[in-house]
Amino acid sequence: MSALTLYQVVALMLLCAGLFGLTQRRSLVGMLISVELMLNGAGLSIVAAAQLTDYNAMLGQLGTLFIMGLAAAEATLVLAIIVVVAKRFGSAQTSDITTLKE
Amino acid sequence: MEIMAKVAFCVYTIVILGGSILAVSSSSLVRALVGLIATLVGVSGMYMLLATPFLAFMQILIYVGAVSVLIFFAVMLTRAESGGDEAKSAPMRTYVYGLAATLAPAAILGWLILTKPVASVAIPVEVTIKELGAGLLGSYFLPFELISVILMVAMAGAVLLTWEKRGKK
Repeated sequence: MSALTLYQVVALMLLCAGLFGLTQRRSLVGMLISVELMLNGAGLSIVAAAQLTDYNAMLGQLGTLFIMGLAAAEATLVLAIIVVVAKRFGSAQTSDITTLKE
Repeated sequence: MEIMAKVAFCVYTIVILGGSILAVSSSSLVRALVGLIATLVGVSGMYMLLATPFLAFMQILIYVGAVSVLIFFAVMLTRAESGGDEAKSAPMRTYVYGLAATLAPAAILGWLILTKPVASVAIPVEVTIKELGAGLLGSYFLPFELISVILMVAMAGAVLLTWEKRGKK
């Protein structure tokens, strides 16, 4: 098993943990934590693929830097949305935010 | 030296695995956040092993420094005490469906990774920060500018979303 495969397996592990958490969590903050796990797995996979093959290593690092920037922007917006939802519905649980159903 | 790298890889993998399990399964959101931070530190160690110290530093700075503080604020601003959001466990059906939703893509991707390995080099080449900066201001100038616009818009949007008009109760 090559080093690249090992890194990809670790990244896949992070993706699995994130997906499982995203389906299990019942609060928006928990879902945000799971999304961050998945984004980290994506970054690790991209850097490993760029560093350990013959392709352009700089491109992979820049891609991961962009992912980090997007994750920061996403976390900011999700924080604002969570604050608004918590103010309007009194909780940040997904089961309480069901006014569209009624 | 190679033994050291393998030992470090195993240690970081254990940190990542334990941290992500804690982050996903803990019933207290603060503990889940601690698990997330452990995972982020483990991933930054992986970046070190991949000969990208700049990314490891950025990982610590952006994720551990900024994003986890943001998530901690989100925990503080909602109900996150032990009797709060995540206290009662989900029904069994949710676990089964969630496990299925996790295992389906994991099986496909894992099968691809394990059966179709790409030709890889053993020792990664280090890219200097100078080259990264030249790339950001050269070929990849447009995404660099776009990401700053996105950050600006996200910040303004966050302020706008939580804005309360004066005099409105």
